[in-house]
Amino acid sequence: MRCSKRKLISPYIDGELNENKRSLLESHLTGCRECAQELEELKKIHMLLSSAEPFEVPHGFPTRVLANIRSNEQRRSNDFVHIFKRLTEGFAVLLLIVVGMILGRFLSKTLAPEKGNVVASLSLDIFAPAPPDSVGGVYLAMMETNNEK
Amino acid sequence: MVNANKSDDLSLISRFKAGDISAFEEILLRHQDKIYNLCRRMLGNSHDAEDATQDVFLKAYQNINKFKPEASLYTWLFRIAVNTCIDYKREPFFESLFKTSKEGDVFVVDSPAGSPSPDRLYESKQISDAIQLTLSRLSAKLRAVIVLKEIEGLSYEEIAEVLDVSIGTVKSRISRARDDLKEVLKKFREQK
Repeated sequence: MRCSKRKLISPYIDGELNENKRSLLESHLTGCRECAQELEELKKIHMLLSSAEPFEVPHGFPTRVLANIRSNEQRRSNDFVHIFKRLTEGFAVLLLIVVGMILGRFLSKTLAPEKGNVVASLSLDIFAPAPPDSVGGVYLAMMETNNEK
Repeated sequence: MVNANKSDDLSLISRFKAGDISAFEEILLRHQDKIYNLCRRMLGNSHDAEDATQDVFLKAYQNINKFKPEASLYTWLFRIAVNTCIDYKREPFFESLFKTSKEGDVFVVDSPAGSPSPDRLYESKQISDAIQLTLSRLSAKLRAVIVLKEIEGLSYEEIAEVLDVSIGTVKSRISRARDDLKEVLKKFREQK
């Protein structure tokens, strides 16, 4: 069974206990072997880790960081330009399709003959002005004779 | 002193937001040692630590508008650094840290630079190896909390701010990390 005061040892080492708890633990430590041993163990870990010497930043590190930031910004800007270019191209194609559709509709209205003229253009009356001795005239005469029969 | 540093940081951030790029360079020079050391302790080797530190400053550059003036710049940078190191998955920490030599099971760990003599260097390297070795056995979350407490010397409140957790969580993680470290050191002693 672990001592209930043991959980106070870690914050005690870190100086995170209030005055009351600290003095309570300190008086407890004099009589509790388990907690005293735990304190010694944690002190060793603390001493080992706090003895760590700081590492030096590699030579030229700030220059590399700034170059990295610049190249990243450039890449982001290029990406933006690329996306913008693609969007513009897509928009241009869409615009051409829409313009083509509008133009096609407009031209179909203005160039197409009226309904009555279409019927007239298909009628044989267009051959009427042909002289009677011409091939057309003979043909018309033959057709009229056949129709009368 | 802390307040003076904080006001200096805030003035640098204001200058940077106003378009003065050199202000960011000053921020970088002020904080690079702390951030690099944190990444080095978290990742275990200089190459990964440099990559991660570069990422940290790139993220800081891109997200400086998200920085809240009521916070401290170093805790904000520490938070980015811890998250960057936890997400850093180039190769397993254990593999990146230890490389077995042909002669046998000799751990090769990068050691602190600038030691004055061979004896001192040897001693320093032994301690450094032992520290990295013990840290390597902890999970990333426990490693972060113990590095911030024992090596960087942050208070529980500051660690809670960096990790965005409650002080109670910090307290319990530190306690768990110490329990794990005790076990690791016990095993090392038994192996010897």
